[in-house]
Amino acid sequence: MSSFCRYLSVTLCLLVVNAAQAATPVIELEIRDHLFIPEEISIPANTKVKLVVYNRDATPEEFESYELNREKVILGGNKANIFIGPLAPGVYPFFGEFNPRTAQGRVVVE
Amino acid sequence: MFLNSVVIVLREVLEAAVLVSALLALARTVHLGQRWLWLALPLAAIGVALYASFLAVITDALDGAGQEVLNASLQAGVYLLLLPILVLACSAEGRRQWLTLLMTLAITCAIVRECAEIHIYVRAFAALGEHAAAVWAGSALGMGIGISAGVLVYGALRAVPQRWALPACCATLALIGAGMIMQATMLLEQVDWLPDQAPLWDSSTLLSEQSFVGELLYAVLGYEATPGPLQVSLYVGCLLLAGIALWWGSTGRAKHAVLD
Repeated sequence: MSSFCRYLSVTLCLLVVNAAQAATPVIELEIRDHLFIPEEISIPANTKVKLVVYNRDATPEEFESYELNREKVILGGNKANIFIGPLAPGVYPFFGEFNPRTAQGRVVVE
Repeated sequence: MFLNSVVIVLREVLEAAVLVSALLALARTVHLGQRWLWLALPLAAIGVALYASFLAVITDALDGAGQEVLNASLQAGVYLLLLPILVLACSAEGRRQWLTLLMTLAITCAIVRECAEIHIYVRAFAALGEHAAAVWAGSALGMGIGISAGVLVYGALRAVPQRWALPACCATLALIGAGMIMQATMLLEQVDWLPDQAPLWDSSTLLSEQSFVGELLYAVLGYEATPGPLQVSLYVGCLLLAGIALWWGSTGRAKHAVLD
């Protein structure tokens, strides 16, 4: 009986973890010619979101945001996962630290 | 490209330079010498080269969380190494080899964490040819300003009256270490290993993290304009733990003095 209970609880835990992961919306964006495409992404308020950033350039870039407290180096031709949120409504700018003049974007939380 | 290189290199060098300066001031105060720094520099250079070479593998490790987990470990490592450094520095005589070893490791972790990004940036963008001169010149200037800020911190700590020199160095190191733990938690939030919480306050209008003063305070105190409850409680907890380490070290010294 106890082993059954353990099995059940482990299964339930896995289900919860899977459900939590499945429920996290994924938003993809690209870095191309030192620009973020799209440069604006909208996400719902109070929701955790997984950003998948593809760097299509040959050079590395660093995804950086003071407002989101995020920083991650993405090598040329590679991708990176960055979780953001849950966030309050507002505009949260981000930029590419290696090319800040062109690589600018924002997360709009509504 | 020039100005951008200055900013990138300055930001990264500043943090390492402040830690090196505080440890140099501590070493001078307890008459340790600088062997640890000369040991750490080649080790850090190897670490930076390895980090940069294997970044793609590191990034994809742990289901895409590798880069953050490694960076957070390096930063947490600095704090965890600083704790016994504080104990040993306060307990004065003996155990100098341990102090040298711990300081070597702490500086190595900090330089690998902060300077690997510079290596990646300079290697990629200086290779583009057209911007090479701007990247090199900007990086050199950024490094120069960062090291100057470190010299400033060193000078300030050395200017403290002798009686307060050791507590001042230890307090600075405790603040730097607590700041590193706070940064490490943010990296773990970024990969969903820790929950992202709503900030307790927003002081970005008072002091922007992007300003030079903001960056300097970030390097020395771990200044963060929008910290969450987890960051604030860990920061305070880390400072308390460092305080206990200092107290433990100094009472050990008191006992030692009585026995002598």
